Order: sequence, then C-alpha cells, then structure tokens
Amino acid sequence: MATTKRHHLVVRITHWVNAIALTIMIGSGLRIFNSYPAFARKGESFCCYPFEGKKIPEWLTFGGWLAGARHWHFAAMWLLVANGLVYLGFIYLHGEWRDLVPRRGVVRDAWEMVKFYLALRRNHPHQGKHNALQRTAYFAMPWVAAAAVISGLAIWKPVQLAPLTHLLGGFVWARYFHFLAMLMLVVLIAGHVFMVFTVDPYALRAIVTGGYDDARAPELRNARPFVNLLARPRVETSPPPPAPEPAAGTQPTDAQPPEPSPPGPPEES
Amino acid sequence: MSKLWRPGHAAERLGVDRRLFLRAGLAVGGGALATVALAGCNSEGPRSARGLLAAAERWNEKVERALFRHRAMNVAPTGAAPAGAKFPSYFIADEVPVWDEKARGTWRLEIAGLVQRPVRLTLGELMNLPRTELRLEHFCVEGWSAVSVRTGVQLAELARRAGLLPEARYVDFQSFDDGYHESWDLDSALHPQTLIVYGQDGRVLEPAFGAPARVYAPVKLGYKNTKYLTRIAFLPERNGGYWSDQGYEWYGGV
Repeated sequence: MATTKRHHLVVRITHWVNAIALTIMIGSGLRIFNSYPAFARKGESFCCYPFEGKKIPEWLTFGGWLAGARHWHFAAMWLLVANGLVYLGFIYLHGEWRDLVPRRGVVRDAWEMVKFYLALRRNHPHQGKHNALQRTAYFAMPWVAAAAVISGLAIWKPVQLAPLTHLLGGFVWARYFHFLAMLMLVVLIAGHVFMVFTVDPYALRAIVTGGYDDARAPELRNARPFVNLLARPRVETSPPPPAPEPAAGTQPTDAQPPEPSPPGPPEES
Repeated sequence: MSKLWRPGHAAERLGVDRRLFLRAGLAVGGGALATVALAGCNSEGPRSARGLLAAAERWNEKVERALFRHRAMNVAPTGAAPAGAKFPSYFIADEVPVWDEKARGTWRLEIAGLVQRPVRLTLGELMNLPRTELRLEHFCVEGWSAVSVRTGVQLAELARRAGLLPEARYVDFQSFDDGYHESWDLDSALHPQTLIVYGQDGRVLEPAFGAPARVYAPVKLGYKNTKYLTRIAFLPERNGGYWSDQGYEWYGGV
C-alpha cells in the first residue's frame, strides 16, 4: 500500500480546534465590528477604509448581539491562543516545522506552482509533502495569527497595555490592523479550503485519520484546480513474464527482462 | 441486542460492503448529532455554551484585574481632534434627562455607603474641590473612540474626604436617568483618572453628556460611566448595573 502517515495526532487535533476557534473568532469579531462598522475616531475621518459605515452581512456574523459576540470573542481567544501554542510547540519539538519554513528558492518554486495552476506550465513541479505555495501559506498563517492576537490585545486593553497600543499607532490603527489581519486569515483559509476541494481532496483523510495515499498525490495526478481531481483507477498490470530459464550450459547474461513502463506522470507530448 | 441489528448482519442483508455501510452509518449519525446541536442554538450560539461563556467572563475579569495598574494612564493621541458636538450621547430615558430644580429641589451628589462621613455635595461645593482637567480618549463598547477634555474632581479625593472604610470593595454609581446605574470594582474607581466630571471641552457639562455631573473614567468602557449622577455608594459587594444585568461584561475595563 502507498498509504503513509502524514499528520501526527497533535497536528490533526490542533488543526480542527483551530478551525472551530477561528470560525468563532471571525464570526463574533464581525458582529462586534458591525456595532461600529467604521474606523474613524468620532469627529475625524479615516483614510484607508473604503466601506466606512457599511455593515458586514448578518449571516456572516456570530453571537447574535454585541454583548453575545463579545462573550464568544473573549472566550474563544483563549482557545485560539492555547491551541496555537500547543501546535507551534509541537511542530518545533517534533520537527514538522521543517516542512513549513521557506526553503531556498521558495519564491521561484511558488511562481512555478502559480504557472502550473494557471496552465502556463504543463507538468506539476516536483514537491515533497507540500508544494511551495502551501509552505508559504502554512508558514504565514501563524505570523498573521500572531499579528491578529497582538493587535487584538492592543484594542482590548488600550489603557492597561497603552505602550503596545501606542506602538501600533494608537487605538484606531490597532483596530484597523486587527481587521486587516482577520482579512488576511480569511484569504489564507479560503485559498486553503478551495485548494483542498479542487486539487487534493485526499488530504481530507490525512487531516482526519492521518493516512495519506501517496499514489494519489497531486504531483502524480498532475492536478490543478478541477483538473485530474480524482486519481485514475489503478491499472492492474499483469506480472512481468517470468524470465526465461537460462539454457543449461550457457553463460548467464546481463540481459534483464523488459521493465513495465512505470505508472504515474502523464506522458509529455 | 439482537444479532440481526449488528451492523455486519444488516449490511449483509442489504448486500452492501461492510465498511461502506459503517461509514454511511457514521455519516448519518454525525449529521443527526449536528442537527441536534444546531437545534439547541439561537443566534447567540448553542445554549449549552452559556456556562462556559460565563466561566470565561469570570476568568477574564481575573486577568483584567491582574493587568490593572493605577499608573497606566489614558493619554489621548496628540494629533487627534476633539469630537466636540460629534461625541455620541446616550441615555436610557425617553428624552434627555434634565434635573428639574422646582420639582426635585437642589441637585446634590450623595456619597454614601461604607464611609465614615457620608456627604451630600451641591454642584458649587463639588466645583470648589481640587480640580483636575484631562484630555482623554474615550472607548465605547461598540468600537468607536473619541477625544474630549474632562474637568472634575478625582473620585479618590472624594473618597478620602468621606473617609472610605476598609470593608468597601465595590462602588455603585447611581443616576436620575430612569434608574441607570453601574457598579465597579474599587480599584478602578480609585484610579487617578477616575473623575466626577462637571465640565467637558472647557464648558459646563451639557445635559446630553450627563449634567450636572457624571462619573468618567478612561479605564472603563463608556457604558460603565454613569451620567446624571445622584449617588455614589461604597459597597462590600458588587451591585450589577443597567447594561451588565442585560449581558454586557460587568467589569468593562480597557
């Protein structure tokens, strides 16, 4: 079997706890934002938000009302941070961080992936566990989350943590950065979920049970969004014909039976 | 349990692959569980989470009290423009509460509860006490902020003059705005920037902003700062508040 263990139990649990915590944080955060869907200090204007005063659609929010959303936000923040620390501590001690830190040439490799996804390149670039775009996204995630947490602290306690709030340019800017960090997280999550379902749905199994069928890796399927989504049914190759018995008395030769052509990457034309 | 209901048997009778059958069963069960979970859900989230949220609020209050420092000061950004008339004003009565001297007599601020010398101060007496003027950034629970200059007397000064008793742990700020009140922890009340305010932006406090006097502390969210103040009661226990009783955090510190 080509199945290998891809994600440690700790990684799988923290992934799903993170998914729940982030959903709560983003939904309740948007409900809190809707109580004042703008950034300008009263009596001032704000340079950098084109939708001042426009509410987020209610169905994207969570918590029901301002007080409810605040309770969820200030409860789930502990879950998010504790879970994030467990994850980061684990991948540091267990070595998974090596799969995520940018390697030399990550920009070039990421560009090759983009070219492949845009069909500007025929074949899937070679990858290990993650391709260069994935590595970049998964590496960025904790940093963006840290930015969200730090700016969140600055607007939660603008007086008791005044030096932090001041460092971020004051309450209004800290609140804006908190919003931008949330937007970046949403972009990363949306890209991640889209790619899972359109390129590598087999990764779902890996993040639930841990098992991954390497024969179905996107690289071997040459998969780009919506293309070669499903693994081709494996062709049962008949066992190679038995090597002819060397005739008695003749010298064994180096001749090998012809190898069956390897399965895998589609032929280049 | 009847043998017939073992998944293996049922699967055989249906003529489907056992593993597939088990998976389908798990999926149906999971779906049913999710439906039940969502059924116990209103727009505020699952009801079963309420206890957890209340526990989180208690935990957060502990964290916020541990973070609290009397030397942490609210300093409005130097470049920020004062909100002036654009400063939002809230009250719970149907119209702007105004103290009617004819009907209610002279307005007085009562300092009561766990103090050695309860007093009832007229506005003139209040204005004759040592004056503090601060330029502050206000933080509303809704997420907006606004800059203004506040003039008044430090509550710590009033408490000292009234002779605060050591049993006092909480303070309740009461008003003539339809019974609006909010109680605080004593620590926040004695912060050097916690004022009993009678002036805003260099003028006498306007009715919209809580005339004749209101409590104002830049270490609390707006809703904790009772306007139209009539009574400050030092208490051994907390006494809720208008918004805190409706579900907003009781502590409400910034």
